[in-house]
Amino acid sequence: MNNQSTRFTIFVCIIAVPVVLVIIPIANFFLMSFWKMESNQIVESASFGNYLYFFSSPAYWGTFLSTLYLCLKVSAIGVLVGYPVAYFVWKRKGRVKYLLILLLILPLFMSYIVKIYTMRTILDLSGILNKLLVAFHILEEPSRQFIYNQTAILITMAVIFLPFVILPIFLSLERIPKNLVTASSDLGAGTLTTLRYVILPLSLPGTVSGALFTFVLALGDFVTPQMVGGPNGFTFGRVIWSQFGLAYNWPLGAALAVILFATALMTIIAAGWASQQRKV
Amino acid sequence: MHKTNTEHLIDVFLGLITAGTFFVLYMPIVVNSIFSLVPSDRNGIHWGEASFEWYWRLLENESVIAAIKTTLIVSVIAVAIAAILAIILAIYVEWEGAVFQRTIELVVYTPFLMPPIITGLSLLMFFDRIGISRGEATIIVGHTALVLAVLYRLVLTRLRAMPHTLVEASADLGATRLQTFRYVVWPQLRPAVITGAVLAMAVSFDETLITVFLAGDTTTIPLRLWGMMRVGFKPEINALVTIVLLVSIIMAVITAIRIKPAEGNEE
Repeated sequence: MNNQSTRFTIFVCIIAVPVVLVIIPIANFFLMSFWKMESNQIVESASFGNYLYFFSSPAYWGTFLSTLYLCLKVSAIGVLVGYPVAYFVWKRKGRVKYLLILLLILPLFMSYIVKIYTMRTILDLSGILNKLLVAFHILEEPSRQFIYNQTAILITMAVIFLPFVILPIFLSLERIPKNLVTASSDLGAGTLTTLRYVILPLSLPGTVSGALFTFVLALGDFVTPQMVGGPNGFTFGRVIWSQFGLAYNWPLGAALAVILFATALMTIIAAGWASQQRKV
Repeated sequence: MHKTNTEHLIDVFLGLITAGTFFVLYMPIVVNSIFSLVPSDRNGIHWGEASFEWYWRLLENESVIAAIKTTLIVSVIAVAIAAILAIILAIYVEWEGAVFQRTIELVVYTPFLMPPIITGLSLLMFFDRIGISRGEATIIVGHTALVLAVLYRLVLTRLRAMPHTLVEASADLGATRLQTFRYVVWPQLRPAVITGAVLAMAVSFDETLITVFLAGDTTTIPLRLWGMMRVGFKPEINALVTIVLLVSIIMAVITAIRIKPAEGNEE
């Protein structure tokens, strides 16, 4: 065996595993999205039927659009809360700073399903949120408006995905050279001016990519809507998931997943582009 | 340096938002741990009757024990396979002048970047097509695909920090490739692989969105918890939840301690 064919053999062996694990399954479900279901059997006939069905039924693309809007809100809340928090922690010094950021990202390691469950117990009719609101006389009596609806999904996602926004913002703040901030204040700029003209523009790329990744996470989630959304809390992810459960229509599920895949891919590319725009 | 009044106000304001965030992120965990120890009902919380009773009951619950076993088996095997693959891929990409290097990396990172539902359903349909029925083995494959990205990233970073002259010196001194790996490369990679393995195990323990597609009748801890939660609220759930949280916190702290000095060296 000559050297070149040995190299080629090694290449094929090494690339084989990722290809089998990732590329072939994805290609397979792209293919399956053109098939269809007939009397509970998957029929291998190529057509755009599933896609046409998606675009012609308002229930499906309506859910898709409302899910995009929901994920946008989750990301927006993440940035609005996460940025001030990341900024505050970044301003601390030494050990306190390290400890605080560690504690803020620690929840990322905690069981996902458990976080959703505890959010459900808090938002529930007899939960702590209602107890607090009644105790402070904001509500007259416990309300069902925080649980088993779209609001519940929004609140839960916003809370469990928050660390995913805080971390990239904090890291992009850390990357800003301290002398730029010092120079700004030496030239007479106040905290707010420095924030507005130095820190915000320099940390913007990291913030945007953090927000976009959170968007993707929220987009594909189907456990949160299932657990806190109740019967009306449908999101696009949950609709796809149901095609593999009770609804049992794999080809349609595959077509919907292709749409999700394309949306996530565009978002990730945008996030990658945003993070390359960093100026420091 | 003296701060102005406005700056103080801003600091206080930001501090309050941060405190609020901590409250929101940690209150659920605290509340949960308390209710796993102290019984409560409509009449309120019975502080006097706190006990570990629910923890003992968990030990008698066979489905929970089975789920714990599966979770451990899956994570150990998946992490071991992924670690070996990650080392081979990283060495190949970094040193052997891989063709299509970017493409290989993109493929490795895909399961981590894409929503888990994509990885889950694509593997489900793939296994179905080639006639493999769902069970522990399919979960292991799914988890391997997911944690490979984590391990690959950490191993590659370590490999890049290691001077290639070490390997050349070893070869010059007559060592075979295997000896070079065993005595030169592996000792350098080991810390990164261990950190990656702990991190990957934490990810695997918690994985829900891919696992649910690949599990069939098998259950892991997150799936078992999800099942229990559908039925209702019980102190038993809280007890299991508290154990799961404790384990994940311990693993996170180990990772944090191991990663911190490494970051310090790179700077």
